[in-house]
Amino acid sequence: MVVVLEVSETEVIRSAQSGDRNAFSELVRIHARGVFNVVYRMCGDALIAEDAAQETFIRAWQNLSSYRPQTPLRNWLYRIAFNAGMDMLRKEKRILPNAIEDLNLTDGQPSLESQVSQQERTQLVQKAILSLPDASRAVLVLREYEDMSYQEISATLDIPVGTVMSRLNYARKLLKDKLEPKLLQVEADYV
Amino acid sequence: MSNHVTEWLNAYYDGELKGKRIQQVEEHLAACEVCQHELDALQSLSGMLQEVPVPEFPSPERFATQVNLLLPQKRTTTPGTHLFEIGWWMIPVGLLAVWVFISTASLLGDAMSTAKNLGLLDSTTASFISAPSETVVVTSTLGQFGMLQGNSLQWAERTENFTRDSFPQIVLQVSVALLYLTWFAVWWTRHTRQISEPLLES
Repeated sequence: MVVVLEVSETEVIRSAQSGDRNAFSELVRIHARGVFNVVYRMCGDALIAEDAAQETFIRAWQNLSSYRPQTPLRNWLYRIAFNAGMDMLRKEKRILPNAIEDLNLTDGQPSLESQVSQQERTQLVQKAILSLPDASRAVLVLREYEDMSYQEISATLDIPVGTVMSRLNYARKLLKDKLEPKLLQVEADYV
Repeated sequence: MSNHVTEWLNAYYDGELKGKRIQQVEEHLAACEVCQHELDALQSLSGMLQEVPVPEFPSPERFATQVNLLLPQKRTTTPGTHLFEIGWWMIPVGLLAVWVFISTASLLGDAMSTAKNLGLLDSTTASFISAPSETVVVTSTLGQFGMLQGNSLQWAERTENFTRDSFPQIVLQVSVALLYLTWFAVWWTRHTRQISEPLLES
């Protein structure tokens, strides 16, 4: 079944490469949600994510002749998506509220956060993710949300596996440093 | 300095460790509370990350229609670019042909010179090959006027022979090699960069 799907997508890609817009629309239908999710995880804004997803597919259409079937199309699209998302963020200047630093995430003082709701907690995590450097955030998103192996991340972002490991370690360490005090607090509240 | 396995914990947690390293990490984890705590923290972090929801995505069909309307009318693939691709791949073939021609001509010239020196060629064939001694015009002229003598004369003759016979071939071959390397560098850049935009900054 999987093989049939792969063959089918390869044929659709070939048609799209020869200029078939309907075939390309089929590819958009298949990968739209994945691309949107990845961009959203990178930029944290649904409107930017949708615009960036559109931009991703337009760029993909323009560069489809350079796509090589050795790389899964999904990975190729994600790579374009990361760049499109970052470009969009810089252009729109709608990057998260300046409040990332203002949140004082590393401050472990018990306060209102002890009453933090689930929603606030996810916002906190989201902001901590967005405060990561772009390159480390990309690796983290692909690992945590797309469940990619190190090898796949390496191929998608065109970086060595060793760099994938170091960026992932770095991203997780930063997140832990920022979130751990709050987490301990939150966990204690639940007990 | 400790023997903690902190640097391998992420890879262990992600199932990316192989071979003896897994056993090494597991043995350490069984005996080390610090590393076990680190591993638990990784699990908690992962759990928290999964809690962050993704907003609802508009219907993929509608999205695909919107994208279709935004697509440029013509993609970059045209008959012109197809011809360019063919021409592009003819460059290394042409360079290879030139290199083979130069090498063959050089080899044949050397072989015929050797054959002539050994007396293996008749006079008719030999007349097509110019003897080195006959080509050193400048050196012999200078020698006649006494401007070059002894070792200097021999050295000058050799230099002039080299300049006249071998140097142009070397220059040609180096030029062909440089052109090929340039083509290869451009090809490699195009090949590795599937889309013409920079990657995420480090």
